[in-house]
Amino acid sequence: MSLHDLTRPWAAFSYGFLDAEAKREMRRKLIKAIAVPGCQMPYASREVPIARGWGTGGLQVTLTLVNPTSVIKVIDQGADDSVNAASIRRFLTRVSGARETWDTTEASLIQSRHRVPEERLRADQVLVLQVPNPEPLRPVQPNMSIARQMHADADYARLWLVLYEQIVRAGRIMQGAAYPSMVNGRHVMTPSPIPRWDVPKLNMAQHLTILSAGREKRLYAVPPFTSVVPLAFSDVPYKVEDHAALTCARSGLSGYFMNEIPQAAGGSAYETSDSNLGIKAIRRAGGETVEIAPTWYQGGEFRP
Amino acid sequence: MAYVAARGGERAIEQAERLYREPLGEIDAKRVAGIRQSLPWLLDRVMGEASLYDPDMAALALAQAGGDLYEAVLLLRAWRSTQPRLGIATPVTQETLFTHRRISAAFKDIPGGQILGPTLDHAHRLLATSVLQGESLAPVPVEPASQPAPARQPSLAAWQRVEGLVANVLRAEVAPEDIPDITRQPLLFPATRAHALQSLARADTGGVLALGYAAMRGYGNAHPTVNELRLAEAEVMVRHPSGISFSAGRVRVSQAEVTTKGKGGQLDLGFAATFGWNEVKVIAAATLDLNAAAAPKGSPVEEEFVLYHTEPVEASGFCIHFKLPHYVTFQSALDALRDAKAEVWEEADSQTETVPA
Repeated sequence: MSLHDLTRPWAAFSYGFLDAEAKREMRRKLIKAIAVPGCQMPYASREVPIARGWGTGGLQVTLTLVNPTSVIKVIDQGADDSVNAASIRRFLTRVSGARETWDTTEASLIQSRHRVPEERLRADQVLVLQVPNPEPLRPVQPNMSIARQMHADADYARLWLVLYEQIVRAGRIMQGAAYPSMVNGRHVMTPSPIPRWDVPKLNMAQHLTILSAGREKRLYAVPPFTSVVPLAFSDVPYKVEDHAALTCARSGLSGYFMNEIPQAAGGSAYETSDSNLGIKAIRRAGGETVEIAPTWYQGGEFRP
Repeated sequence: MAYVAARGGERAIEQAERLYREPLGEIDAKRVAGIRQSLPWLLDRVMGEASLYDPDMAALALAQAGGDLYEAVLLLRAWRSTQPRLGIATPVTQETLFTHRRISAAFKDIPGGQILGPTLDHAHRLLATSVLQGESLAPVPVEPASQPAPARQPSLAAWQRVEGLVANVLRAEVAPEDIPDITRQPLLFPATRAHALQSLARADTGGVLALGYAAMRGYGNAHPTVNELRLAEAEVMVRHPSGISFSAGRVRVSQAEVTTKGKGGQLDLGFAATFGWNEVKVIAAATLDLNAAAAPKGSPVEEEFVLYHTEPVEASGFCIHFKLPHYVTFQSALDALRDAKAEVWEEADSQTETVPA
């Protein structure tokens, strides 16, 4: 037996691009993140062949979890064919040999920027959210070392104060996307800039959600059946975007989160933000047999 | 699938990349060699920021990126990040550096002497327009001094230490494999000394210059004097598994030590070193290091502020990411805005109604 027989032939890159050492660190940090829901875990965050801020955090998680039997879906702002989603998907399939899909129900691994699909995710699916800024305290405390201490002390008073001030000034909570939410009653996290519409989908969900910020080198997780409660006052309830009554001009779907398309003649048209759900509805209307999984929202109402 | 036609997706990104690459033409070994020969100072800058010392790879990265510095640095970092660490070199000390240039602004002369070495500092910056008219610009040969400068030089700080001018910091002996490595660990604050210096070593030249310059102009608390600036070559000594120690080659390094009068009645020192010869970077970075100790939280010379915001790959990547669609986030904000406006109108209406006649 020679050394040559024991080692694999040299290759420029490892399977799934990341080397074994990098993946081992990722796995350890992922387990820690799952063990302490919503708590940000620092990780080395290797450089990957796409620019920082373009999904490198999500990509490192997906590259760690992917295997040749995975089925990968990548979406950006809800769309599979958005240019950056296409780029990430092409890279993932190139280095892993995994199959790609646009269909939420078919995917085992979903990497997403700023949306949770409308179709309910199952226990055998993992959602990886790309995170630009992992720190919910950033608006009140830009210094990361102080913010870290505040999390340790569960000192979220200033976040509550900001929400209260918004009500006083504007008559309502003005936080748009990335709504700060309490995870498992202990850590406040930013759910990444998903719309408020999507936050309830993470609460007591069947699937595992991993949130990863590559540039900021932090990852955190919402394990299955974990509470995610948006910060709100008992007399001023949490409010999702007022999209329940909007109808998609392309697919005829209504009761889902929509993209607003300004019209030259004035006013706006709407299209379903979850583009593949829209495509499925169009196909179904065209007479094809298309399976659409149950959705979290029905008739514009969230059904837990 | 009319639903998606408007966005283009995969075909669009492929063609967009071709549009970028087509004018660059064919890249071959000759072009890479040409870049390596003609742009050594640019290679030094790129190798420093990439924290990968390989002039051929740096030249290749520049060729591939068509000269876009941030792209070139990212190419090299992405290559470097997954390479195995085969060994750890013996730490380099100042006294062992093969020194090409070494100057001190603190004293007229210093033990070992002031050695100007290669520099454009005193050159007149006149553009050689005649080259564009077809003449060539041949360098005038160097006339060697009668006595060569000593290749190895003591550090000025060592003399200052003996004189009691700088604090005698005891160096903690750390096994080479236990030295914290910024490429394998996240940067946390307060940062370890190793992480801070490694971050500065791979920092963006422009970034440390901007913040360092701000500190020099008065946004910092300490005014720097260049104690010692060096351009040198360092021997990379590694140990073979059989136990033999050998040189794996030399790398160009620069280092700067800046100083200011400290509160404790001694001189404070700020230090920075990087791969390649890059004087602006090490002077600015050493100034930031000098200022970091006494900097108030949140100030532009505080360690956390400096190290986070001078990371070239992170800063440039995040800056260009704003080109990505943000319409979901925007829609969410718009919804809150419209709803707040509607509520204000509603309130105004109800108030008008209740005004007694």
